Amino acid sequence: MKLTVSGHSCHVATGGRPFNESADTVIFIHGSGQSHLSWVLQTRYCAYDGYNVIAPDLPGHGLSDGEPLASIEDMAGWVLELMDSLKIEQAHLVGHSQGGLVMLAAAAKAPQRFRKLAFIATALAIPVNDFLIDASVSKPEVAIKMMTGWGHGPKAHMHDNTQPGFSHLGFGRNLMARNADTALHADLVACNQYDGGAEAASALAHDALVILAGADKMTPVKAGLKLASALGSSSHVIIDGAGHMLPSESPDEVNHHLMAFLSA
Amino acid sequence: MSDDYNFNTLSLHAGHWPDDEHGSRAVPIHQTTSYMFKDTRHAAALYNMEVGGHLYSRISNPTVAVLEQRLAALEGAVAATATSSGMAALTSALLTLCSQGDHIVASSQLYGANVNLLKYTLPRFGITTSFVSATDPDAFREAIQDNTKLIFGEVIGNPGLDIMDVDAVAEIAHQAGIPMMVDATFNTPWLLKPVEHGVDIIIHSLTKWLGGHGVAIGGAIIDGGRFDWGQNDKFPTISQPHYSMDGINFCEEFGPAAFTAKLRAEAMYNFGPCLAPMNAFHILQGIETLPLRMQRHMENTHALLSFLSEHEQVAWVRHPDLEDHPDHALAKKLLPRGSGSIITFGVKGGRDAGRAFIESVQLSSHLANVGDAKTLVIHPASTTHSHIDAEAMKAGGLSDDMIRLSVGLEDINDIKADFETGFRQAQKAVASLAAE
Repeated sequence: MKLTVSGHSCHVATGGRPFNESADTVIFIHGSGQSHLSWVLQTRYCAYDGYNVIAPDLPGHGLSDGEPLASIEDMAGWVLELMDSLKIEQAHLVGHSQGGLVMLAAAAKAPQRFRKLAFIATALAIPVNDFLIDASVSKPEVAIKMMTGWGHGPKAHMHDNTQPGFSHLGFGRNLMARNADTALHADLVACNQYDGGAEAASALAHDALVILAGADKMTPVKAGLKLASALGSSSHVIIDGAGHMLPSESPDEVNHHLMAFLSA
Repeated sequence: MSDDYNFNTLSLHAGHWPDDEHGSRAVPIHQTTSYMFKDTRHAAALYNMEVGGHLYSRISNPTVAVLEQRLAALEGAVAATATSSGMAALTSALLTLCSQGDHIVASSQLYGANVNLLKYTLPRFGITTSFVSATDPDAFREAIQDNTKLIFGEVIGNPGLDIMDVDAVAEIAHQAGIPMMVDATFNTPWLLKPVEHGVDIIIHSLTKWLGGHGVAIGGAIIDGGRFDWGQNDKFPTISQPHYSMDGINFCEEFGPAAFTAKLRAEAMYNFGPCLAPMNAFHILQGIETLPLRMQRHMENTHALLSFLSEHEQVAWVRHPDLEDHPDHALAKKLLPRGSGSIITFGVKGGRDAGRAFIESVQLSSHLANVGDAKTLVIHPASTTHSHIDAEAMKAGGLSDDMIRLSVGLEDINDIKADFETGFRQAQKAVASLAAE
């Protein structure tokens, strides 16, 4: 569905089911250079399981208009504005990669607005190397190829996929190419500059789940475990063999752990 | 692994990861119609495209999925769907995009069955086609109407061997807000990856070079993933709520793979052109050696081009890699590894000499196929294109004396020796007629 947030048209995926404010709301926040499409196998499953699913495209991403936001804090503020626009008082929050940083910032800013927090393939901080940041401006197609290359695990590189006929690399690259030209660079800079993760995590008392990917090169297990340790009340699971693009690479395992966590 | 695997590696491995339980190195043949649901929630999730997986082999099958994922990998595409034949692939792709009252602009230089589908069958369902020269990009632009839904052509025309300027025609299609679809059977991804040239949807007959062994019929529809189906209102069944799955919007839910998601949910469900798992397995065995075979196909083709061009019994030879072919410059740019292993030529003495040649060669097989590992010959005017009219024959670049040769992988000296036998018999036939 479409709505206006901060003066710009915004696309929100609802998992193929109508927006239902009487059900528990789950908000999915996508990663750098991604969009709601990276969650398709979570949003549909969650919505058909009875939740009110909200998976926005951040400004300049996917089907949303507007300039990409410059900082993680700005993105967190935008998520709260989105909740206000939809009149959602409280929601569960699920974030992948950069989306995990946005969760930390949003929950630290307005802890009462959130119930459970599920962090997927993310960390307290996501430093980005200068070469990738530079490439996202000078050679965006190279940056996209680098990210999808590093971002996927061994099975995905061999085009093994639970969705018959789909290519992880092909889907990932075309998904990223559909964002505004400036979106990836803005995201990478925002991730690189964000240093509030440790302070935010230590202040949170929400029930939290951290799902990590055993073959993650972008937010390695070691970094994810620091996040789990910093969160006050959290549990964690590691999905062996999967890469950073965990929601699409191991959707059934992610859904299993996520739904058990949300319904507990 | 950060970089992508290379073509040779993908040909052998892509789409398959040995399972933990059995560790079968070869792709297992899942000879089953249906699949056990874990529970009712799992069944519903499969039906609603909430999760990946298989529920019925008309829709998808694990062995077929390996083939599909291998093809998507080799083409650099977002997804692929395998079908029971190349014609099933074309029909399914067209009917995924077109409805009654829609229009197609197509090359006039097409395989006979492609022509028949567009010219005679689809008009009965209200879908019409304007045919234009494959080598005249402006003609495609001029033929586009408000109700045109796609441009269709063959990269290397069958059997005229005209080369379509794929980049130019794709740009024309995109300027009009419609996708470019090509039949890329003759080039295979080893010679050309159409997605890299702006093509949005690729049709393959897997029966030909991709399989290569001549033991299994199959087809595939490759989704390039770059076309924005929501950019205009031309494709409402993709970009607006569909009748299935509570009004699913494929464009919003699957983005770059919206076309494939709709194809899977509608064409595979409602038409049922599924590929048998055993045939998928056979075709996968062929694809494992595609790079090696294509290299040898091209070596033999170039050797035979020299042989035929210099032979006194040959009236003419046509192949885009020959300098006198009208599309030679474009072929060199578009297909640097070669323009495929089909050669057309005429035997001196016309139709009777051609017939004598075909009936006297012994190593070369006289049959209606191309792209086999074995050398094949046929007389299109009396076989593959016998059902199309004289005007379409001419538009397709066919002549009565044309022999279509699909160059195989045999020792080149044995092929040449076989042809010498054919030429001698052709000469005798001509002499005999002259004596009468």
